[in-house]
Amino acid sequence: MTIASGINGRKRFNWTPYILILPSLVYLALFFAWPMVQGLILAIREEGALLTLRAEAEIASTVAGQLPRGMQVEIVDQQANPIPAGAEQQGNLLTEVWFRVRGETTDGQVVEGWTPERRVRVRESDASGKPTAGTIRSILASSADPLTPIHAEASEGSEVLGKLEARTTVEILDQGTLEVWYHIRGESGNQSIEGWVPARYIKPLGDDTHGRIETGDTSQFTTRYIERMVNDRFFWPALRTTLLLIVLIIPAQFVLAIIMALVIQADLKGSGLFLYVFSIALGLSDLAVGIVWYSIFTQSGYLNSILQGLGLIDSPITYLSADTRYWILIAIWLAEIWRATAIVMVIVVAGMQAISREVLEAAEVFGAGLWQRVRYIILPLLRPSLQVALILRTILAFQVFALVIVLSGGDIITVLANETYRQYYDLQNFNVAAAYASLILLLSMATSLFYLRAVRTQEEAAE
Amino acid sequence: MTTAVEAPKGTVQVSPEVKAIHRRMQRRQQLGRALTYLVGILISLWVLVPILFITSMALTTPAEVRAYPKGILPFIPLSTETLQFFLNSRGVLPGLRNSIVVAVITLILSTVIAAPAGYALSRFIFRGRDMFRLSILAVRAFPIVILSIPLAVVFLRAGIYDSVYSLALMHTALALPTTILVLASVFSSIPYELEEAAMVFGCSPAQAFRYVVFPLVLPGIAASAIFTFVLSWNEVFAATILTIQNRTLPAQVLVTLNQSSEPYQFAGGFFMMIPALIFIFYIRRYLFNMWGQVSK
Repeated sequence: MTIASGINGRKRFNWTPYILILPSLVYLALFFAWPMVQGLILAIREEGALLTLRAEAEIASTVAGQLPRGMQVEIVDQQANPIPAGAEQQGNLLTEVWFRVRGETTDGQVVEGWTPERRVRVRESDASGKPTAGTIRSILASSADPLTPIHAEASEGSEVLGKLEARTTVEILDQGTLEVWYHIRGESGNQSIEGWVPARYIKPLGDDTHGRIETGDTSQFTTRYIERMVNDRFFWPALRTTLLLIVLIIPAQFVLAIIMALVIQADLKGSGLFLYVFSIALGLSDLAVGIVWYSIFTQSGYLNSILQGLGLIDSPITYLSADTRYWILIAIWLAEIWRATAIVMVIVVAGMQAISREVLEAAEVFGAGLWQRVRYIILPLLRPSLQVALILRTILAFQVFALVIVLSGGDIITVLANETYRQYYDLQNFNVAAAYASLILLLSMATSLFYLRAVRTQEEAAE
Repeated sequence: MTTAVEAPKGTVQVSPEVKAIHRRMQRRQQLGRALTYLVGILISLWVLVPILFITSMALTTPAEVRAYPKGILPFIPLSTETLQFFLNSRGVLPGLRNSIVVAVITLILSTVIAAPAGYALSRFIFRGRDMFRLSILAVRAFPIVILSIPLAVVFLRAGIYDSVYSLALMHTALALPTTILVLASVFSSIPYELEEAAMVFGCSPAQAFRYVVFPLVLPGIAASAIFTFVLSWNEVFAATILTIQNRTLPAQVLVTLNQSSEPYQFAGGFFMMIPALIFIFYIRRYLFNMWGQVSK
């Protein structure tokens, strides 16, 4: 119902607003809520942590046991099986092509049946590249059966119809793809477990009698990624620097933002120009700002040029190096204040516009100076705006990233967002990166709650 | 008491003491104004001088960029050589194209999706309205990093990783909450009575929107679209994570940062600032609609 008709009385239920907000709800659910949950899951759930062993070389057969990823196992046997429906699309499927062949055995009998591609050397193909004829390969291993068995079906488990000798010419009638299964044996606890698994989970080592479980088929909750994050040598420095920067940057920003807002609210001629200049930084990316401040602090940069021009130094000082971490911190501090004060300023100005002029004028008439007006009228009335600005700024401060990379080269000084990027991009540890991202989320939420709480208790105390 | 206070007002003759007080107050006001100007100019210098530095670096010759000590006077010699060197570097022009494509898709998608929601927020009172508003505010406060990693994994599995279109989907998710709130406040600034009047004169609600509301909100929508463009143009974290071959300009500059020379970096930094410098000027009237919103 519209506002107007809502006042006039209740009408029948109106679906219009719900239809109007539906697209945004769906979009945010799809590209915001869902990835958020996925990110948290990624941090604590290890996919394919366990591999299920089957009693028979078939997905439907009974479970013989489970072995963890990374374990060394013995490969006892192998066999090819029809690919289960739906699994054809799966990546890294280890397959084997089988041919339906017709050939003559040594005793003159014609057999027709299936044999693996690796036992046949293709000699002729038709126009489309489909093999039509070939010869049976000779088997080099002395211990093996020198004859090649021909199966009734495209599966090693099926009945053997006859055996062909090496170099027998065969006609290739048909072909089919099969999945290879291994019969593996491994230790779990003190118990030996053996069973069949699809070969795609196993990486054979050396002589094909041993292998390693490369990935499993069952997920498991784990603290591994969180432990790896905490034990990373960059973790504690990153956390410390992030928090330190927040503590150093935010108070300075709020002071500067309030001064900016007072200048704009003073209603001078040209305050529109001030507003434009003060808010330019709203539209600057942290990468560009990083580069701007790099041009000032780099060895042949503006700071050194000015100092030398004034005769204060004889040779350029190196600011951004591992030996002068504090200079990097100062550069990041200045750059962040330069870049991100604008947003606080805009929120503060919007809040100040809501303060009635009469109140301020009354205070002025009664002789309150600027400081007293700010301290006893403006700041208390601005509290809701400041709270919002504080929350927004802190959350944004957790995300500073490109600026730190530009000014510190990426590893002298590092912050949490930076580490997320490193884990994802340089080290390809998606899960550890997700753990970092989740930590940033938790910290953001915790500080927001803290601000909300702190302000509320202050109000309660005042009552 | 009252008569004593009112007495000087009525009299034509003002005592010298009152005149002195008046003069002192005026002087104090003038002093205050001068001081405010001074502070304003100082802060403006603080904002503008670094921009001047990077601009003069980008608009000179590469030799001058490498020189030390640098001249404090800007633009000597004035040249587009550095900028040309940057634009002709490998990956920059494709990156520029990708950036524009992503930003344009993002602004179209987010405006089309957000406008109905903004209209609903400003014109209807419905059950769950405050809930919707609050959750949008909350969504805006969530960090980008937490979204990028799982989306990268999802996009990888779906086979749409490393594409400007999937990056635009992600940027739309980032821009949507702000766009909804801004558009809601833009719609709120158009009185509902106008729509009502149009309907009284025989317009259908859709026609009233099309012929009365739409022309009035167009500048506001344009401002929000511009802001979305700048947001997408600037975004670097998700862009670096979600693309490999099809990098946007900031991602390209960031990834090649270690191997690139200072002229390239400075010209890149300047180039990335241009849209902000132009667009913020045009949308400055709407800034409080955009950011002031959060505190209401």
